[in-house]
Amino acid sequence: MSNLVQFSGHQHLRLRLALSILSGKPVRIDKIRSEDKNPGLRDFEISLLRLLEKVTNGTVIEISVTGTAVLLKPGIIAGGPVTHDCPLSRSIGYFLEPVVLLAPFAKKPFQLTLRGITTDEHDLSVDLFRTVTLPHLQLFGISDGLELRIKKRGAPPGGGGEVQFLCPVVKQVKTLNFVDPGKIKRIRGVAHAVRVNPQFSNRMIEAARSVLNRYIPDIYLYSDVYKGDESGKSPGYALSLLAESTTSALHCAEAVSQPGVAPEDIALQASRALLSAIETGGCVDRQHQTLVLLMMALGSEDVGRCRMGEPTPRTIQFLRDVRTFFGTSFKIAAADDKESSHLLYSCYGTGYTNSNRTLA
Amino acid sequence: AQAASNSKRRKDWTKLIYSTDLTPEEVLSGKEEHPVEAEEMDGDEEDFFRLEPASRREEEEEVDSSKEKWRGEDLKRWEDDEILDSIRGLFITGPA
Repeated sequence: MSNLVQFSGHQHLRLRLALSILSGKPVRIDKIRSEDKNPGLRDFEISLLRLLEKVTNGTVIEISVTGTAVLLKPGIIAGGPVTHDCPLSRSIGYFLEPVVLLAPFAKKPFQLTLRGITTDEHDLSVDLFRTVTLPHLQLFGISDGLELRIKKRGAPPGGGGEVQFLCPVVKQVKTLNFVDPGKIKRIRGVAHAVRVNPQFSNRMIEAARSVLNRYIPDIYLYSDVYKGDESGKSPGYALSLLAESTTSALHCAEAVSQPGVAPEDIALQASRALLSAIETGGCVDRQHQTLVLLMMALGSEDVGRCRMGEPTPRTIQFLRDVRTFFGTSFKIAAADDKESSHLLYSCYGTGYTNSNRTLA
Repeated sequence: AQAASNSKRRKDWTKLIYSTDLTPEEVLSGKEEHPVEAEEMDGDEEDFFRLEPASRREEEEEVDSSKEKWRGEDLKRWEDDEILDSIRGLFITGPA
């Protein structure tokens, strides 16, 4: 395996695995928590490897006896109907993040059912995947039949949620040219409360409005009600917010119930986080920098450009990893105005084509 | 998360990301540039730059999280009306 890519440490695992599968280059990761009292891969990381095995065909995964090293030899991205039970140590968002990057390049359209926790503090909730992540994919021409259905909600620790992710396959992604962030024209949001007083949703909505109403009148915050079996196994509530600009730039934030914190304070956290996201964002939500930059790198052989805020630490490592796997580096320069800290990211697409796709 | 925005000096992002071995956090915090060439100079210096992540590992594992963790102070500043008004220009209803 002359094209083997090697890393050390457990950080950035999911994106590195996705890059390996997309590039077709095997990856070996060692020293996974080798200094830890409890060394090796965690249950959710092993579960992710199993999920990647299920959605691909011919992938070989070897985990060392101590669990501190893993070798993945990628097969082809198969897609099709797959069901996976996510462990309760991480939310469905952890598993969806890498899968969303692979799905457009599958042989067959993804019909992926994931069960587990639908909203937690570490990863984007299924609500933000539906309302913000999927529109970011649409920027690249991935749209017809793209859908995330939230069948059941599942709050931590018990979970019990279920979503279905449907994604069309594309031959190639479009080159992005997105440099005008526009002005925020509307704010949308979803408040949900399961197995607690249903009034909590309305209390969050009221509190969020007390912050956001000063900016624009076009605010619609929806109280999403799930009952009985559809509301999962544990109590919890959350508020997910998104702001959309005149040029369809999206920014999002959310806050999740915490013990001893009133619903109003959760809503204020989410609202203020949204303002911070709007203030720094540019054309792309901070939490979606990696997705957008990857699709730009995979774009047709032309220069793609996008105006965004400063890279997050994750984005910086991801840019380095994209270069390692695809040899593509971005030019990152200050945007031409003095007011903002926005940066212009540009790169020459690799002209990645989906060779897995079944020819109809 | 916004530690870098107060540094006035313009960063050469392309160089910092692709031509140094600074950790992502060091790139953002504006730590002195440490070009890849310098790495071969001597081992002591390299140890110096490795110190921070090692000490962090002892405390607790950094969770691989895709959701932005805004710091308390990033959110608390929005309690101030002046700060709230400072971003009006980003909305269609605000000044041009």
